[in-house]
Amino acid sequence: MNDLFTVQYAWLIPLLPLIGFCLSGLFGARWLKGQSHWPIWLGVGASAVLSFMLLFGMLKLWDQGPTLAPAVDVGRIITPVTTEEAHPTLSTTAHWYEWASIGDPAKQGTKAYLKVEAGAFFDPLTAVMLCVVTGIGFFITVYAKGYMAGESGYFRFFAYLGLFIFSMTILVMAENLIMLYLGWEGVGLCSYLLIGYYYDKPSAREAAKKAFIVNRVGDFGFGIGIMLCFLVYGTVSYYGGDPSKSIGVLTKAADMDFYNKLLPWQQTCVYWIPFCLMLGAFGKSAQFPLYVWLPDAMEGPTPVSALIHAATMVTAGVYMIVRCSTLFYQNSAAMMMIAAIGCFTAILAATIAMRQFDLKKVFAYSTISQLGFMFVGVGVLAPVAGIFHLVTHAFFKALLFLSSGVVMHAMGGELDMRKMSGVRRVLPITHICILIGCLALAGFPLTSGFFSKDDIVGAALHRSPFIGILLLIAAFMTAYYTFRLFFRVFWGPLVVPEPQAGHGHGHLDAHTTPGVDAPAHGVDTHATAADAHGHDDPAHHNHEPLSMIIPLIVLAIGALLAGYLNFPERAHSLAGFLAQSPSFVQGYDVALHGHGDMGSVGAGNFGFEDADAPSPIPGLLLGGAISIAGILVALYLHLVNRTMAEQLTHSLQKLGIVELVDGKFFVDEIYQKYIINNLRRLGDVFFAFDRWIVDGIINSFGWIPQLFGYGLRFTVQRGYLQGYATTMLFGVLVVLALIFLS
Amino acid sequence: MNPLALQHYLAVGAIMFCIGLIGFMTRRNLIVMFLCTELMFQGVAINLIAFGRFHDNLAGQAFVIFVLVIAAAEASLALGLVVLLFRQRNTLDADAWRDMKG
Repeated sequence: MNDLFTVQYAWLIPLLPLIGFCLSGLFGARWLKGQSHWPIWLGVGASAVLSFMLLFGMLKLWDQGPTLAPAVDVGRIITPVTTEEAHPTLSTTAHWYEWASIGDPAKQGTKAYLKVEAGAFFDPLTAVMLCVVTGIGFFITVYAKGYMAGESGYFRFFAYLGLFIFSMTILVMAENLIMLYLGWEGVGLCSYLLIGYYYDKPSAREAAKKAFIVNRVGDFGFGIGIMLCFLVYGTVSYYGGDPSKSIGVLTKAADMDFYNKLLPWQQTCVYWIPFCLMLGAFGKSAQFPLYVWLPDAMEGPTPVSALIHAATMVTAGVYMIVRCSTLFYQNSAAMMMIAAIGCFTAILAATIAMRQFDLKKVFAYSTISQLGFMFVGVGVLAPVAGIFHLVTHAFFKALLFLSSGVVMHAMGGELDMRKMSGVRRVLPITHICILIGCLALAGFPLTSGFFSKDDIVGAALHRSPFIGILLLIAAFMTAYYTFRLFFRVFWGPLVVPEPQAGHGHGHLDAHTTPGVDAPAHGVDTHATAADAHGHDDPAHHNHEPLSMIIPLIVLAIGALLAGYLNFPERAHSLAGFLAQSPSFVQGYDVALHGHGDMGSVGAGNFGFEDADAPSPIPGLLLGGAISIAGILVALYLHLVNRTMAEQLTHSLQKLGIVELVDGKFFVDEIYQKYIINNLRRLGDVFFAFDRWIVDGIINSFGWIPQLFGYGLRFTVQRGYLQGYATTMLFGVLVVLALIFLS
Repeated sequence: MNPLALQHYLAVGAIMFCIGLIGFMTRRNLIVMFLCTELMFQGVAINLIAFGRFHDNLAGQAFVIFVLVIAAAEASLALGLVVLLFRQRNTLDADAWRDMKG
């Protein structure tokens, strides 16, 4: 696989978006201005092309059978190897350069030496993730051109997007845990920068800080996990270039001989590593208790919500757990915790979403809920299902967010569901696209979401019926709230909200600086500008410019067809492809033979041939029925008989449930009262300590010369001429004494 | 009475020097203070001549010529400064300059 063009030139995949970032960032303000999207379009587009070439190259190699090429060193590329005869893998490592090395390799043991290489590890999982990230990323940059047209910080947006794609590709291509962490932090940074894009809005600034800080809490656990990995395994590289030998962290974790030779304290570390790492995944992928940043992150422009908070960044946690499967599958308690938290989050978020009225907030909670599904998939030892849902979710969630962006533009910046209705007459193409997206999210039969969600539910039911049933409840709620939104906004009588004063492209509140907005509205340089100026008659204005509609259509096609990637009993399915990855192969090994009690592990869940696998048909039928039921309930309550919905709400309100859900279970308030306020008080204590004690000590050193000066002033330097003479005399006497007495 | 020895001359020199020193430290009149410094000079000069005489070395006398010349030059300088100081405060009292402390 080393002779694949894309493996040789893999360093272009992160580099081109980074160059785009530099060009847009440096030249966008003065020279590129409205054309600042070109460096990013070209950079991300080229990355996407390369990623797909990589994918197709790997698919072709897969077709040809296991690769058993003799070891040939082609300069910087390390050759592929197979693990066991029964499970050949399709992977290779590319070392670019040595990033950091600390310590002396000659010293005893490998623990005294840390070497971090900058390099990439390629396998089917990487290829799939890269295609999702760069492909959907590219279409979102196309959309963003239309959406952000006329914004004052246009170049800044695209520059940050380029930086984000760079970080995300580094994350998925990383060859070791430190590079993964680099990408991890990089996407966190870009999320902060992009959420806070409208930095003159205080709510956006707060949301950006919240996202970054909550992420950081998770990253703290993640960092500790990485350090523990180094302590125990002596390296941070995933496979050290060769998955078949016990060099890298992940292979050593699968190696029972290695584990048996560890000291007791190291074995304890091995037990705790998954818990530390999963904290990072919870922070990045917005699971309970670290999910509170994602709904606030909707303050950012809609393309940001689509790309970062739906399709790519938030999936990094799932990716990390699947990649480090051998570290996790040792530990049945950790897997149970992942599944439990995922399930709990799925239901919690779905419940909250049922009472949200802001378009983007509904989809934000929906994302949290669907990520919960993915975590359950991974937690019940069905990583293929988890990744499959990741891919399909990326398509339809990005589609849903981008569609809400179109709606928002058309409705003059309004996002409240209660203020609009019958929008399908204004936005016909968007209506079809969002319908496809909603069907996929709800898991309507034969859409992509149907197959992926029911894969997860099926695996969950098989392993833990309790979790499976809870997921079915969450699926029902998902179908319900999705179509609640759809029927409320797109069907029914036409109601268009009054355009707000200073309605801008992508934010709800009035711009505080009308001067900035005015030129944007006045200058309508291109026909595809997404303006909402048809105040008098929105139906006649083109609210669906080409640059925004084409990505929608592409994503809609993906949302419909992506399900067939892993259609049951298919010959070349996603599952089979992923099974060529050493992460899956070794993960399955560990799950079967590892030293935790894993219960029954289905080989099919890892992509392998499994004659005993239960038929998926009953699960699919059940899932399909539940999704249709949810859609029908939503149809009745929000289209046919809207007053019934209000009556139901009133009757439930007496029980106090509605208030609880409306308040989002008051999680934010609890955090504020018990955690943030106390941390603030602690911060005040530290501030006082720093100001009075530390600074006091430093300042007191400054008083010493002053005291010395005072001493001189009031003793020897009094301005009294004869006094000076006396002093001189004494000095002379002292010198004489010294001379004559020594 | 002993015949005149070196110690006697040195004693005179020392006494003159000490009188001058004490006078400088205790008097307040600027000109009198200057007078006392001149007295210190003369005490030193006597010492130098005494050593020169008793060691049969004319260098002592030569050095005294230097000292006298320098004393004279310094006298002119010092008196010029005293006149300037007097013009500032209209008094010859050294205490008038006590605010130049610190």
